[in-house]
Parts: sequence; C-alpha cells; structure tokens
Amino acid sequence: MDAGEIKKLLLSNDPEFWSCLKTLTGSARDFEELFLLSSLRKKAHARKLENPNVTAKKIRLAIVGGYSLYPLHELIEHLCEVDGLPVELWQGDYDNYISEIMDDDSELYTFTPHVVFILPAERRCTYTGHLTDPRELQQAEAQRAVDSILELARKVNEKTRAEVITTNFMLPARHDLGAFRSRTLGSDWSFRKWVNLELGLNAPSFLNICDWEFLANRLGGIAARDERSWFESKQPCSSALLVELAREAANLIAALKRAPKKVLVLDLDNTLWGGVLADDGLEGIELGDTSPRGEAFKAFQKYIASLKQRGVLLAVCSKNDLAKAQEPFQKHPEMVLRLDDIVSFKANWEPKSENIRAMAPELNLGLDSFVFVDDNPAEIEIVRQFAPEVTTILLGPDPSDYVTQLADCRLFEPRNITAEDAERTNQYRSDAQRKALEATVTDMASYLESLEMESVMSEFVPVDVPRLSQLINKSNQFNLTTHRRSEAEVIAVMNDKNFAGFSVRLKDRFGDHGLISIIIGEKVGDTMKIDTWLMSCRVLKRGVEKEVLNELARLAKLKNCTRLEGVYLPTSKNEMVRDFYGKMGFTLTAESETKREFELKLENFQPATTKIKIVRRAYEPS
Amino acid sequence: MNQAEVIAKLQTIFDTVFLEPVVLTPAISAKDVPEWDSLTHISLMVSVEKAFGVRFRVGEVENSKNIGEFADLIIKRKLEP
Repeated sequence: MDAGEIKKLLLSNDPEFWSCLKTLTGSARDFEELFLLSSLRKKAHARKLENPNVTAKKIRLAIVGGYSLYPLHELIEHLCEVDGLPVELWQGDYDNYISEIMDDDSELYTFTPHVVFILPAERRCTYTGHLTDPRELQQAEAQRAVDSILELARKVNEKTRAEVITTNFMLPARHDLGAFRSRTLGSDWSFRKWVNLELGLNAPSFLNICDWEFLANRLGGIAARDERSWFESKQPCSSALLVELAREAANLIAALKRAPKKVLVLDLDNTLWGGVLADDGLEGIELGDTSPRGEAFKAFQKYIASLKQRGVLLAVCSKNDLAKAQEPFQKHPEMVLRLDDIVSFKANWEPKSENIRAMAPELNLGLDSFVFVDDNPAEIEIVRQFAPEVTTILLGPDPSDYVTQLADCRLFEPRNITAEDAERTNQYRSDAQRKALEATVTDMASYLESLEMESVMSEFVPVDVPRLSQLINKSNQFNLTTHRRSEAEVIAVMNDKNFAGFSVRLKDRFGDHGLISIIIGEKVGDTMKIDTWLMSCRVLKRGVEKEVLNELARLAKLKNCTRLEGVYLPTSKNEMVRDFYGKMGFTLTAESETKREFELKLENFQPATTKIKIVRRAYEPS
Repeated sequence: MNQAEVIAKLQTIFDTVFLEPVVLTPAISAKDVPEWDSLTHISLMVSVEKAFGVRFRVGEVENSKNIGEFADLIIKRKLEP
C-alpha cells in the first residue's frame, strides 16, 4: 500500500480508503508523508466519502500558543480523526495565547472547548538577568515562569472545565556556554530543565503535560530544531519533531477519552523464553544468564513483571499442554514470572482468539481491555480476525527488541494521580525513612542483617546443568582448584553417588544474584575431598562461604565422613583464595609450589552463624 | 542538471503531493494551482529539499516568482560544494 494506491481508492470513492488511511497513518514517520495523508483525508470529506467507522461525537479542541499553529493543528486533527476521535478545531492567533486565555470574552471561551492545548512560548522561558546572579534570584524567576503557566492552565480550567494540555520546553542543543552551562540556573539549559521539572511535579490533576523536552531528546536535540522555519513561518520546531509533537498531543487527547488497557496476554514459546518447550524440554529452553538470548528473554520477563507492579494483569495463552506449560513457572530457576503472577492461564489447542474471548467474562473485563503479544504472525492474525477488539502486538524476530516494543507500545501508560496513588506514596515515604535509617548503620553485622539475605542450596538438578557448567568454566578468581567440566561431566557428577555436588543461590532485598557458588565433594573412604569450590566475587564478604562450609560438613557427616580435605591449586588468577582454607579453620598438611593441602576434622566442627537465611538445603525435599 | 530536468523531477513530486494533476511549466506559479496554499507549500518544500538533497537559505524560496526561477534556485544550490 502506498500513496498511489490510496489516491486511486479516493478517486474511485472506495470506502476502503479509510482503513487504508489508518494503516498508512500508523506507519508514517515523515512530515510530508503524514501531511499528504491529511490532505487526502480532507479531499475525501470534500468528495463526501465518509468514514463508516467514525460515529463518535466531535471533540472540541482549542490550540493556543507562542508559535504558528499551522500546520501542527492539521497533523493533530488528522491523527485524532484517523484514530476514531474526530475533532472540531479552534486555533488561536500566533503568540496571542496569554490574552486569549486571560480575556473572559475571548473567542476561546465562546468556542466552549472540551480540551485546550497550550504551547507556551519558549523565548519567554529564559533568565533575563546575568548568568552569575545569585541562585535565589534565578530560581525565583524560574518559579515565576512555572507559576505563569500553571495560572494560565487554572484560568482555562475554571472558565471551561476543559482538560488542559500544556507543552513544556525543549532544551538547547548547542555547545554555547560549555561546561558552565550546568553550573548556573541562568543558562537556558538549566533554567528550562528546572521549569520542566517543577511544572510536571506541581501540575494539578486537570493539567496534562505534553513532554516536549522528552520528545526532542528522544529524536535528538539537533534534529529537533530548525531555525530557518522559525524565521520564515514561526514554526515551533523541525518538521520531524512536529510529527512527534502532534502524535503525542493526539495520544494525550485519546488518553483523556479512553481507558487504558488492563490485561497483557502472553504467548510462551519464543515469547517468554527461547525455543519450544514441547520439543526442547524444561532444560532446553533458553532463559537466563547462560546465553545472550536467554538474558534477553529474562529481561523481557522482568519488564513484564514491572508492568504487573503498575497494575497490569498478566495472562497466558499458549498452544501447549497445560501441565507442561506451567512447569517452567513452577520449576525453572530463571523464570521471573511465577504462576501466581498469572491471573488466567490458558494452555490448550483451541484457537487463541477463543481463549482470549473466554478470559473476558472470567476477569469481568471488556475484550477491548486486552493486549495480546505473540511472536507468531499466524496467531496474531487469528486474534485480529476473530477477536478484533483485542489489541495485538507482533513481536519482531529479535528478543533483544521485545522490551522496546512493549515499552513503546503506549498502551499501559498510567493516568493522572488518584487518592490511592497518594496513599501508596505515603507508604513509600515511610519505607524510605526506614531505609534511610538502615543506611546510617555502620557496622558490618547490621549491614549484612539489613540486606535480608536468603539462600537456596540445591543438589545438582538437570535444569541447572547449563548454568553449572558455564560458571564452572568461567570462574577464575574465587576458584580453589579451577577444575573445568563440560555439561556432560556435570551430569556425570550429578549421577554418581560418591559425589556430593551442590549449588548456592542468593538473593537480598536489592535483587536476586542467581546461582553464585558451586561445590563438588567426593567421598573417598572416611574423607570428603573438596574437588571444586568456587564462588562469584560479587557476593564476597556476605557469609556465603561460611554457610557453604556448614553445608559441606553436614553432607559429609551424612555420608559418614570424619574429615574434609581441601586443596588449593594456584593459577595466575586465583591468588585471592591462597589462604582461604586456613581462614576457614582448616589445617595445612602439605605444601608445594603447585599445591597446598588442608584438612578439617569434623568431630569438633561447630557450624558458623551468618546473616543469611537458608531457605532450603541440598538433597532435602523442598 | 538543467532547468528542464529539474522541472521533470519536480513534476513527480507535485504528482505525489497534489491530487489534481498539475502540468508544470517554467511560467506556472502557486497562484495558478488551487491546491497550492501556504500549508501545502511547507510540505512541498520539505519534499523538494529531501528529493534534491539541497537546503535553501532563509527567505529565498519566496523570492522565486515561478517554477522556472524555482528550478534555477535548485540548480544554484545543487552546484554549491
């Protein structure tokens, strides 16, 4: 579909024109492309070719500001209408917004707008004094700039009860002032940043901020501006940014009229993890820190979890056997999402459109609250056709782009602040105070205590094999013997009764460190020989090594051993653990250039206490 | 590029931007084309600059009285290093 084809549809008065216009508008990035589509839309109206899907009452939108509002108004009108929200426009004159708003008899008010969009003049948002003036003076002027915008917004709202949208300010993108730029509030750079922050933080609930600073930053500061278009026709920014500004305004207007999406329905294979569960098995799916792809899928899950935290409901819709599909949520150590995160779990062989339809009454929500995400175009197509109310997102071929795709989809953006949010804010505050108190604790024991560490010790299990082997093969510093093992060799250890291997996972209140330590003991007579002891240096000095020794001693006793035997094999990288066994209470029994041997008699061994809560021990039922 | 070649290329841009066909000649100007208003003009100039890889200086486009002069301006800007 291109401009030529849509023109033909228009010239033959084909109503298909409108759906085609919507598709092209959605993908148009260039100003001239969007502008052309808007011209075609106006021609269609002139030819009495009306959009069969637009029945909504027109939104009365007024735009005022310190710039020429042509052709910005044109783009906004186009985007709103194509999105099913036709607008009736009233534009203020160039740079006449203050009197248009302050004058009770102005045309702005006889228009009785539902929504008023204000673009305050950038050139008025600048410090008029000297760069080296006292900061109090500069700040007072910045505050006045904020107050004047808030005052305009308040006046509009009082007079019309309209929703008000105001832009904030783009930042300069030139090197002028150099490093001094950020050392004074008198520079446009600092001044506008301050104004933007204060404006956003102090905006009342009827005021919506159209974040121009963000939009310009996203596009690139230099690409955001076009001085010539200012001199020639008082344009507010470059034509490229004008498109983004119009899209943002249209998005804000739509957000005023429409509820946000509430449910995110997720596919599983190649969406939440790499590979196909039914083919690759629980151990074979790609998820977690063993591979870049696995990391990307895990990051996607983390992002989805953050959406849940914001209040988005999560659901699963997968072509799978239910029990099999739920297994990773229960058993896979790298899964971020767990079964209790999912409000509706559909894994079967029915069409996905039917499954999603079934979810709606279950959750007591309309289908138009649902967003469906899948990597398979065929599944997306089925849902588009048979559950058209559902918004669909087709994930691209690269899982590293998944987060970006969702983060840019604009479907789950929180709206204005509610009383509930305010209450939550209070809770956060007391939380923050508690944490600040903790931060003042200076001794190590209290610090470790405040970390709220929890550890899981596990015998080797098949699903961990790739991670075990990976850590065994890359760990260099805290590694007593540097014995490397392939996945097959790890499996051999796992299946040999004479070996006692276990892994250690650690998390604290700042997050999950994952699998951080591996120990392999081998029973030889009454001795447990420590074949491997390695640990990630990220968790040094937390007490993990003490808990490991506790566990090792416990397992050795279970296997009727009376002593532990440890050996240090020096490499160019593991000097840090040269005296490790000595510090842990072992006795040096033999020493050569290539080897230091230690032993620990278990009869008098007393387990050390640490600040780590051991949630589970190895070789015990969980 | 000579004036005729530039006008030929301009013709393809005009064909995209305008719904009603316009046959460009050196003598034609905005007032001869009903669809060519100040709004369309902005979009037209963005398209022309992109298509020819030129950047006009501030205010100079409005000094071109017709398509012929406009084509000459494009040639002049194209010849700049």
